Amino acid sequence: MLGAILDDLLTSPSTGPCITATRHFPPRPPVLAPFPPSLDSRIADALRARGIHELYSHQVLTWELIEKGHHVVVVTPTASGKTLCYNLPALQALIAQPDARVLYLFPTKALAQDQLAELEGLAKQLPEMRMFTFDGDTPQDARRAVRARANLVLTNPDMLHSGILPHHTKWATLFQNLRYVVIDELHAYRGVFGSHLSNVLRRLHRICRHYGSAPQFIMASATIANPGELARRLTGAPVEEIAESGAPTGDKTFLCYNPPVVNPELGIRAPYLGEAARLAVRFLREKIATIVFAQSRLATEVLLASVKHGVADKTGDSGIVRGYRGGYLPTRRRAVEKGLREGEVLGVVSTNALELGVDIGHLDVAVLAGYPGAIASLWQQAGRAGRRSGSSAAILVATSAPLDQFMATHPEYLFGAPPEHARVNPDNPFILVNHLKCAAFELPIGDHEKFGELDVRRLLAALEDEGVLHHTGSRWHWASETYPADHVSLRSVTSDNFLVIDTTALDTAQTKRRQIIAEVDWGSAFATIHPKAIYLVESEPYEVRELHFREDEEKVAYVKRVQVDYFTDAISAKGVWILQRLADESRPAYLAEQGEVLVAEKVVGFKKIKMGTLENVGSGEVELPQQERQTTAAWLTIAPETLERVSASREELIDGLRAVTYLLHHLAPIFLLCDIRDLGSWLGDTTPAEPGTVATRESTKRRLLAAERFNPTIYLYDSHAGGIGLAERLFEILPDLLRRGLETLHACGCRVGCPSCVGPVNEVGRKAKATAQALLRALTD
Amino acid sequence: MATPSLDGLRHIIRRLETARRPRTAAPPAHEVLGGELHDTPEGRVLVVRREFPLAHQHGRQPLGQAFEAPLQLLGAVARAETPLGDARRLLFLDTETTGLAGGTGTYAFLVGAGWLEDGRLVLAQYFMRDFDEEGALLAALAPLIERASGVVTFNGAGFDLPLLETRFILARRRWPPALAHLDLLRPSRRVWSARFADCRLATLEREVLGLLREDDVPGAVIPGLYFEFLRSRRAAPLARVFAHNRDDVLSLVALLGWFGRALLGDAHLQAEELAGLARLWEPVDLERALACYRRALGAGLTTAAAHRVRLRLAWWEKRAARWDAACDLWQAASRHDVFDPLPWEELAKFHEHRRRDLVAARAIVEEAMDLAGSGGAPERVLGALAHRLSRLTRRLASTGQHGA
Repeated sequence: MLGAILDDLLTSPSTGPCITATRHFPPRPPVLAPFPPSLDSRIADALRARGIHELYSHQVLTWELIEKGHHVVVVTPTASGKTLCYNLPALQALIAQPDARVLYLFPTKALAQDQLAELEGLAKQLPEMRMFTFDGDTPQDARRAVRARANLVLTNPDMLHSGILPHHTKWATLFQNLRYVVIDELHAYRGVFGSHLSNVLRRLHRICRHYGSAPQFIMASATIANPGELARRLTGAPVEEIAESGAPTGDKTFLCYNPPVVNPELGIRAPYLGEAARLAVRFLREKIATIVFAQSRLATEVLLASVKHGVADKTGDSGIVRGYRGGYLPTRRRAVEKGLREGEVLGVVSTNALELGVDIGHLDVAVLAGYPGAIASLWQQAGRAGRRSGSSAAILVATSAPLDQFMATHPEYLFGAPPEHARVNPDNPFILVNHLKCAAFELPIGDHEKFGELDVRRLLAALEDEGVLHHTGSRWHWASETYPADHVSLRSVTSDNFLVIDTTALDTAQTKRRQIIAEVDWGSAFATIHPKAIYLVESEPYEVRELHFREDEEKVAYVKRVQVDYFTDAISAKGVWILQRLADESRPAYLAEQGEVLVAEKVVGFKKIKMGTLENVGSGEVELPQQERQTTAAWLTIAPETLERVSASREELIDGLRAVTYLLHHLAPIFLLCDIRDLGSWLGDTTPAEPGTVATRESTKRRLLAAERFNPTIYLYDSHAGGIGLAERLFEILPDLLRRGLETLHACGCRVGCPSCVGPVNEVGRKAKATAQALLRALTD
Repeated sequence: MATPSLDGLRHIIRRLETARRPRTAAPPAHEVLGGELHDTPEGRVLVVRREFPLAHQHGRQPLGQAFEAPLQLLGAVARAETPLGDARRLLFLDTETTGLAGGTGTYAFLVGAGWLEDGRLVLAQYFMRDFDEEGALLAALAPLIERASGVVTFNGAGFDLPLLETRFILARRRWPPALAHLDLLRPSRRVWSARFADCRLATLEREVLGLLREDDVPGAVIPGLYFEFLRSRRAAPLARVFAHNRDDVLSLVALLGWFGRALLGDAHLQAEELAGLARLWEPVDLERALACYRRALGAGLTTAAAHRVRLRLAWWEKRAARWDAACDLWQAASRHDVFDPLPWEELAKFHEHRRRDLVAARAIVEEAMDLAGSGGAPERVLGALAHRLSRLTRRLASTGQHGA
């Protein structure tokens, strides 16, 4: 049935031309090897009892490298048996030495639960196995028992950071005897999360040294360009890399689907969400288990509504399709996972939250609504279909964004390009300072002690001046009443979350029921849960009535269930100011610089967008405070002569520069393993008139037009306070990025600009594409 | 907590590089606080030592009674895991810390310890003048703990002892694995939780020991005073912290004395205290507990407390199958001025299952429903009673018994 639908997609006149690339991956046989001779016979028996009589080559290679004492990272695809790579040495250590301890780290609690179940299955018959999860869900009274009994602890970096390391004396036995630290889903630790984890591991190393242990690290990662480098950056130690998988794979078809152009003049394509929903519904109607990945929470909700609608048309049952994303409460997510495993749920629309290895059983088709921003994520999401054997398919539905169009028109990049580099910046000053506080809380820091490889004496002195550290007897001591780990969230640079509380019941029954329906992080709160915003949960619209954001208040949004047919999109004003220049490169046509900037943003209003047609049906204003952050950026200032050569009209130049800004921002994530939202962009001026005053696009344009001196500057900045290493890399690749931008403009079929190259023509102006082309030619000469 | 901005950090660092602050000279802490420096293998530590005669009254309570307390009994009622030894070798402990957060970054900068020596109470306070004296403080403390027959604290199970254990482990010192410990918070809760709004030591001092502290320093400001001392080296403001800690240790001694007398039965106790004491006796000596409950009822409890005590007593009588006594108590409880379905249900069950008198059982449920209805009982209670009534009516119909 799957094959028939795929054939039809490829050959039918309505869809065939939209398929820009097809790749068939034939099944691959396994490469097997016998059990290593040193493997304990009881473990070998347990494997045989589960029908495993030989190992895959990469599992044996891991075993050998671990035996030699190396740290190891295994990089193999989904469902290649990577868990055995670390489970075998761990179980062996526990059997051989009654005192040995092993620590497993997973990025989420759900993954730890999954792994515990798998381990218990394997270790049922083995002696001395005392395996427990230890996380935020572990009841207080059970924690003591876990600390006392467990010799294998499954947890997450957050719990290690706030619940284990600051209480290391209660875990003294674990740290004295820590043999292995297992880190699965290593690729998830990039950007902010990875920068935090790297610091948490610096702290772990200190504690282990204190207790006299030096654990070996066994890590597993999905395919990224630099797993070895990432592993070394995270652990601060040399790591051996195993990249050759010996596991078999099933037969798989990968299609790239570019929605048809519906308005050639404006270069407008059919909305990708609608196309993705149509494709998913075709499979679901034939009872083919399908997962749809959306690229944002909002897109998830919009897609879910259309898929449910499409499926309900035929089957009359919309409960077989569910939504899944961060922000849903854990119970709701567990129910969806279970439903998928047990087959009650046939389809799921998810954000990348299901990209990681949460056990949801096998699915047949993955529809990727939009390029997930990284090759590694693309294969990870596609890998959710057909995990074990049999035929499966993955379809990438391109959006009209430049990045997606680049991929749709350069399939060789999609299939041939090496995956991206995962970047972390453990030395981000905001992140580093917070972890230094935690480290001092855990153990006084010696005068000559390094943190990782870093000399931190100046930072420690600064912290003493702030009054949280106290130096005496050649050591820095924690000298504050607070518990610093409580103030540091590993998932963001700052840590305040908003609770979304449904008050619908309050009006009807007059009861004071506070039903929490979601959580929203600080960074996106003003844009998504401002007053009068429509907030969607499983495609049910809620209107935000009140938002409490003041320093001294509990951060909450009170919402009420409403019946509306629109959602809201925030309008914000922005400003960027240079704080410090750290590097520059002067070229005839422009000056490129890199350094620190202040970014101020303010949500000033919102548009109402009708569901389905996506037309603008109204707007509103909101009064919210300005959010400011210091971060790192790369920027280029174009020489006046260059501008003169391109055009004499300042307005044309502004439109053209905006177009270039849009294009560079949207293309840059190809070169950095990052989400488009990890970057921000702004066309401004090197000498802004009023520091601290934000402006909308329109007022900025007016100001640039009226300015005495015209010094336009294109800023590309790291969205995370302090930066996670994106700006430095951007500065390096800027010449290449400009060349790619020019190529993309040449390749785009539209006449005067479209969302796929320089942005929607009604926003950038009719001459923007031509001006942008001229500018880029000048800049790449 | 505010994260320092990049600029802020840079600014601070620049300033630090130009000149590190000289520390102003202040008179030495041991002179200001009236203590002496003791040598330990880990260096010197400041000790402030006072002695008190056993007749010394802390509030209304003489200190000496603590050492006559029946310890085995007290340990049992307080559920101490390891039995306490000789009362005359107990160690009374209270710590002042750099915070309440717990974890490895919270220090006990002042430890007050009390013990009996040559017929007097010795109260020694060990103080670290800076973090690098912690080793000496712990070195001075360790032998006291080692040779004690047990440790007495107030909320030590939840706070002081885990904290000290953490400090010991960090200093690579052995913490006695089966330390006999009496945490007075536990029996205090049993005796007084019904009587006072809270069971904080300050409340018990005021209400039970009759002690009013003058110019006491609030616990919440103590860490800040210590941090300020670390910066300024001026010890004078710490004198109030030392006094606070001293009072805490003396209150431990006095409170143990109070419990001793109460358990020996020669204290004059209020009705509520008797009821609380009965709860204390329950796991140890049931008959004494029941006697104590009865004395409490006779001594004039408030109606709400009396109601609770009757139900508690009835529960034990029912378990002992002393049905007459249980029924009397339920009868009395059923007349409580706030409607409570429990005694009615118990009476109905007694008549239905014990006496097999379905008619009487039904009459009780009917009366209860009347009372509940007029008393505005919640839907859930009325529903349960209605359910019971219909079941009884069905059983009556099937057995052929009929009501009057």
